[in-house]
Amino acid sequence: MALTGRLRSAVVIGGQGIRARKLRTFLSMISLFLGVLAIVAVQASSVLANRALLADIEMNEGKDGTVVVGVPPGTESVSAVLDLVTGHPGAVATTSTGAIIGEPGLTPVNPGGVPLRYADQGGPAMKMVCDGRGNCYSEVSDDKPPPRGNAVELLVVGVTGDIRQFRPFQLEAGSWLDFGGQPSMSPRLVLNREAAEAFTRYQLPAEMTIGGSGSQPSPGSPHPTPRVVGAVHDGSSQPTAYVRADELLRWLPETSNAAQSMGILMTPQASASITPALRAKLGPELAGQIYTHTVDSRERIGGQLDMMKWIFYGMAALVLLIGVAGILNVGLATVGERVEEFALRRAVGTPRLLLAGIVLAETLIIGLLTAAAAIAVGVVGLEAAGQVFGANRPTLQNVEFPWEAGVAGVAAGLVAGVLGGLFPAIRAARIPIATVMRA
Amino acid sequence: MTVTPIQQPLIQLNGVTKTLKGQGEPRPILSGVDLTVRAGESVAILGRSGSGKSTLLSLIGLFDRPDGGQYLLHGADITRVPERRAARLRSQEFGFVFQRFFLLKHLTAAQNVAMALVNGQGWLARRKRRARVLAALEQVGIAHLAKHRPARLSGGEQQRVAIARALVRQPRILLADEPTGALDTETGALVIDVLHAATDRGCGLILVTHDHAHANRMGRVVRLRDGLLVPDRAGVAV
Repeated sequence: MALTGRLRSAVVIGGQGIRARKLRTFLSMISLFLGVLAIVAVQASSVLANRALLADIEMNEGKDGTVVVGVPPGTESVSAVLDLVTGHPGAVATTSTGAIIGEPGLTPVNPGGVPLRYADQGGPAMKMVCDGRGNCYSEVSDDKPPPRGNAVELLVVGVTGDIRQFRPFQLEAGSWLDFGGQPSMSPRLVLNREAAEAFTRYQLPAEMTIGGSGSQPSPGSPHPTPRVVGAVHDGSSQPTAYVRADELLRWLPETSNAAQSMGILMTPQASASITPALRAKLGPELAGQIYTHTVDSRERIGGQLDMMKWIFYGMAALVLLIGVAGILNVGLATVGERVEEFALRRAVGTPRLLLAGIVLAETLIIGLLTAAAAIAVGVVGLEAAGQVFGANRPTLQNVEFPWEAGVAGVAAGLVAGVLGGLFPAIRAARIPIATVMRA
Repeated sequence: MTVTPIQQPLIQLNGVTKTLKGQGEPRPILSGVDLTVRAGESVAILGRSGSGKSTLLSLIGLFDRPDGGQYLLHGADITRVPERRAARLRSQEFGFVFQRFFLLKHLTAAQNVAMALVNGQGWLARRKRRARVLAALEQVGIAHLAKHRPARLSGGEQQRVAIARALVRQPRILLADEPTGALDTETGALVIDVLHAATDRGCGLILVTHDHAHANRMGRVVRLRDGLLVPDRAGVAV
């Protein structure tokens, strides 16, 4: 009860003090504002950068804890994997191969499936090669290239289920693949952003050459007519199309070993049953080539931004300290002016501790008001940045102000209030009560 | 209500001493003061400037502690009372009126009076607080000025606000240090009336003053001379 009374008294008297000195309060807030805003900005940037980095890694590799298994290519492997994984709710198998969409017999604008920004830049002919772990890359082809034309080479990834439970792609147009019903003879494709850009930039005939990657399609490569059903952002700069695995495998020549890579994404629980079963099915020789790892995206990004974050925090703390010095200066001057008031308050029974509390309450209120202002500016600034720069920087689009930055702002305001008010509070509590008698 | 001053003393000083220690030589200012004040009693303390009147008042009001002697409040020894308890006693037992009014200019008259209630010694709800403040202002005859700031009040009105602030906690003892020093004779007399009225309700009053006319209106007049309190009128006990 006594504590409540003192707290209330401190807040009431502190509020009166602030109202009586509005200009000083405002000046104190200005000196503190930049420091608190710097803390809010650094924390917001750090959280947003972390989120962006994490989202990028999750899209490219998988969510934290996802078990990734690389299976050696080959008909036997494909058959074993599909047997175990198809229809399993906690696992999705992927098989990828190169393909060209566009006019047949021409060199694609991006040989080897390189990103479109390198398209039409000449250079040596490239071809796409995928290894047994599911990693595909471009390498220089020794073959003489045919003439270039309206064709784009891309990576085609066949999936046995909704891969987005492991890699959270953002749907940007149309719809995701429908895994119900029978596979279609006309493969349904979901393009990634880079592949969709190719369709926008070039007039591509809807003809796809599967498995004949590189500048020279292999004789007898199948030519299905695909249907584009949607577009996603998958974080990859390589033109990629996602397709139902059964629709892709229908067109893959069995003899060409065209399914260049095979992989499985699964939950740890699913892995506990699927991985041993897969090893048993493949036999000791192929099982020895299985590659397994667990995605640890949060741990990986943990250290990446730390150094930068702490450097910025240091700079923000310096700015905040300058603000604290300002509020301290104003606080000491104010206590000097209020000597008689504090002595009088002691004369009417106010304890020393409450006098200190009054001064601290004033600086804490100033700190909180400043924090509120800085957070408001941060929210508005982020919104404005999204509208002004969002078109060029997608990471700024539809970004919500992170609550962690709000908490950091309030904490910075409170810390600054305490640091700036502590010495004035001690000085106020030490004012001799007899000051009123000598006045 | 009339209170007969025949009961346990409110305050009792026995041989109280105080030496002021400044930058120069220590200066004994009180050399063994004896004083007893009972409920409803009024005492005027006269003395030359620098004789130690205000120092004595600051000891009685627990602003400071005596070097020697004994100080009893309601019979309890508070000579060496710790600061926390002293603050509580200042709030509950004493009301102070000073020569300068010490009103906070950014607060209204009512808020200045309420200052004595918002001091961390318990908490009163706003409605009760307002009622107590208005009653105190009524007591000194300026309830109609409750919302006025000090700058809009005359000297006499400001001093009455200060007296209301001293009375709002219904203290047992009023300590007034030259409360009429900054006022003209007529206004000063009105202020003394207000202070004197408090003794009718059983409050003890100790008035430090240079003015014999005001002093003579008190029940007892003593003079501080050479560090000792002596009767100023024949036959009046200290």
